[in-house]
Amino acid sequence: MIEARGLSKRYGEVVAASDVSFTVSAGEVVGLLGPNGAGKTTVLRMLAGVLTPSSGDVRVAGRGTEGEAFELKRALGFLTGDTALYQRLTPREVLRYFGRLHEIREAALTSRIESLVSRFRLTDFADRPCGKLSAGQKQRANIARAFVHDPPALILDEPTTALDVVTGRFLLEAFREARAVGKAILFSTHVLGDAEALCDRVVLLHRGQVLDQGTVAEVCARAGAKTLTDAFLARVGDEVAA
Amino acid sequence: MRPAIVLHIFRKDLVETLRDRRTVVMAFVVPALVYPLLFTLLGSVATDKRGELERTRARVAAWGPVPESTLQVVEQQARADVVDHRDSPPADPEAEARRLVASKRVHVVLLTPAGASGASIPIRVLADSTNVDSDAMERRVSRALTDHGAELLRQRMTRLGQDASAARPLDIREEDLADAARRGASFAAALLPYLLLVLVTTSGFYAALDLTAGEKERGTLQTLLTAPVRSVEIVAGKYLAVLALTLGATVCNLGSIALTLSRATAAMEGARFSLGLPGAAAIFLTVLPAALLIVALLMAIGVLARSYREGQSYLMPLLLLVMLAGFASFLPGAELSAGTALVPLLNVTLLVHDILIGKAGPAQVMVVWAVSLAWAVLGILLAARVFQTEQVLLSGEKPWRDVFSPGVRGGRGLTPGNALAFAAALLVLTFYASALVERRGGVATLILVSQLGFFLIPSLLWCRLFRAPLVDTLQLRWPSARGWVATLLLAAGGWSVGAVVWEQLLRFPGARAYSDWLGELLGKQGQLSLGMALVLVAFLPAVAEEVTFRGVVLAGLRRSGSRWIAIGGSALVFGLFHVNPYHVVAAFAVGLLLGWVALESGSILPGVLIHLVNNGAQVLLDRTPALAGWMRSPVVVVLALASTALGAVLVRGTRRAIAERPPDAAPVSLAAP
Repeated sequence: MIEARGLSKRYGEVVAASDVSFTVSAGEVVGLLGPNGAGKTTVLRMLAGVLTPSSGDVRVAGRGTEGEAFELKRALGFLTGDTALYQRLTPREVLRYFGRLHEIREAALTSRIESLVSRFRLTDFADRPCGKLSAGQKQRANIARAFVHDPPALILDEPTTALDVVTGRFLLEAFREARAVGKAILFSTHVLGDAEALCDRVVLLHRGQVLDQGTVAEVCARAGAKTLTDAFLARVGDEVAA
Repeated sequence: MRPAIVLHIFRKDLVETLRDRRTVVMAFVVPALVYPLLFTLLGSVATDKRGELERTRARVAAWGPVPESTLQVVEQQARADVVDHRDSPPADPEAEARRLVASKRVHVVLLTPAGASGASIPIRVLADSTNVDSDAMERRVSRALTDHGAELLRQRMTRLGQDASAARPLDIREEDLADAARRGASFAAALLPYLLLVLVTTSGFYAALDLTAGEKERGTLQTLLTAPVRSVEIVAGKYLAVLALTLGATVCNLGSIALTLSRATAAMEGARFSLGLPGAAAIFLTVLPAALLIVALLMAIGVLARSYREGQSYLMPLLLLVMLAGFASFLPGAELSAGTALVPLLNVTLLVHDILIGKAGPAQVMVVWAVSLAWAVLGILLAARVFQTEQVLLSGEKPWRDVFSPGVRGGRGLTPGNALAFAAALLVLTFYASALVERRGGVATLILVSQLGFFLIPSLLWCRLFRAPLVDTLQLRWPSARGWVATLLLAAGGWSVGAVVWEQLLRFPGARAYSDWLGELLGKQGQLSLGMALVLVAFLPAVAEEVTFRGVVLAGLRRSGSRWIAIGGSALVFGLFHVNPYHVVAAFAVGLLLGWVALESGSILPGVLIHLVNNGAQVLLDRTPALAGWMRSPVVVVLALASTALGAVLVRGTRRAIAERPPDAAPVSLAAP
């Protein structure tokens, strides 16, 4: 469903990503893990059609990034952790705006919005400006925004960062439900506990390159570690500390 | 580009901006309050000061043997009190006078050197011109002394038995030819252009920042980029939102300024100003292209910044440049000329100035409008280009490097952006170069040079520059049989479209005079032989203008993805090249027909033939008045219109019948000139 083939991104002399390849199938959650500056956001932006790769290819639901990655974006829901919502619009207005950008018909959009408001428990604050919401409320509204066009694939860039335990758990549950209905999810996080609990497979990224990928058990075994955190530290920890 | 998506982005951005109190206050409330308050405050301060000076008696020092009679006259006529009388001046009279004026003990010192006597007594009047009170009292005292001097002379001449009137060989009276309305307009003409430009900039300043750098800082621009919208749709929606806000604020503030100036001049002696609705509309239309340019620059520069604060410092130089351009209205001698008409914003300042003092003619208005519009198009293209640079949108380091780096988007062929940039550059070139050619050559040289040098050759060079294949770009294809039948019908009746529109336009004031002038101009081709006239007036423009407008411009605009944008845009550009508003409308109507035919037939040739017949008929009409009468008869016009309509229907879809390669595989954006 989501496919990265030899993705590279260079800014002059700086190589932000180099020959990154992996896939995410329908009904699967794949974790993209790496320390700060590993190139996770660059890779996710290329997959979302926001950044143009210097080389390599992206496919989401069979659509590529040629031209303006127009069709690819229709098949994708993108969520970042910095709760970027329009501060002076309400969650309901944000959902309607993005629904219209996805060219959903008004009648269908209205019922879709009500369904998302209910599913992500936005009712109490759906008509309050986003600028006045808590971080957890914003992120719930934001994930509803990413689901508004019911995309087959989701890219989640540190969606649980800076959230309280309750909201974090609520979101993880929402991602599990999405997986259960066959959505492909690429999940980038610093919280390795979340990755261990949610991901079917993980991709370890360091200095723009894939160090390892596989199930959590496979990655741990290859690193000779018992937990994902130990495996992570074994592969990149020393270099980061240095 | 999808208009519905642009509308959604426009609507959301406008709503979001109007919910931002800071933007609304800065765009609407502050200017609406500041102008009346400023003028009322300044007017009131000035009036109070004037009244205070009128009521105050001048304090005068008299040093040395100033005649007593003179002092009495000063006391009575200048309403002065001699507060410091010294028989001998101090050792350093200037320093002492300066000290006394500074300490406000006296306003003016009258100084006569010790020992002065005889028929002419020297009196020095010492005052400080930088001190408002001292300066005003000096004028009052000097006027009294001058009158007193004249009176003394008259008395002396009478005593000598001479005619006293001989003492005044020239009886000078100053009279102002300008009436109160013109004096008021002159006052407004100095202030209004400056205020207008500055308020257009400040009105859009915060909205543009909020929707560009502000959105980047808040991360919402990236969220928007993940939606299936083209960057050109984003920039168009945002641009329209900032423009709407700016124009709304401009209209409100224009009213506020006009009202304020009207009240301010009412308080002035001998001046009156009132800006009626037609005047306000003319000024608004003049400022409109300047607003288009300013908003484009605000957005292009604003989006380069990574934060709101950084954006403020980026935009400040633009505000200073606008203020500098607006300041020209204060400068004596700054005039609208062929040179200044080229300079963006400065030309608008000078034109608004000239409109207010009643000096601007329709030609000046059109030239400044066309030049400003060309600048605005370039500004919008720049904004579109900046918005398509991913390093700019994602807050990369030194993003401007990518904006101007070549080959960011490779590929062959023309785009809407470079087609419009070509048209804008050609518009400016045509206007200035044709004025030069007209002065140096006759009508034949003018047509030859303009058609070849301004249209045909630049169009071919432009295609080569952008590696646009000529066959596809210019649609150099042979139409189908049905296409030819349709073309013949259109050629037979196509002239009627322009003629009918023209007849309707003649009802408007000024159109008849323009029509007569145009007739006179076209009549000059009567000096040429018929064959030469047909080549120069019919054949050459039919080929060169079709290559430019239905070739290069239409081909570029076709890649916007909308055929209506392509047809409407190319017709508008074609119309604008005819400069006069009446001619613009008629040419626009003809341009719509020719654009439609070019797209439907898939060939440039039908347009060339229709254009050729239309212009050729014009040549023949000028030489055969009987033919002109026959062609204007209602029956012929109706038949011609019917033939045109039938041709337009018949030509539909004929492009599918001819072999062609689709040149526009993927729609591209407005940028990349």
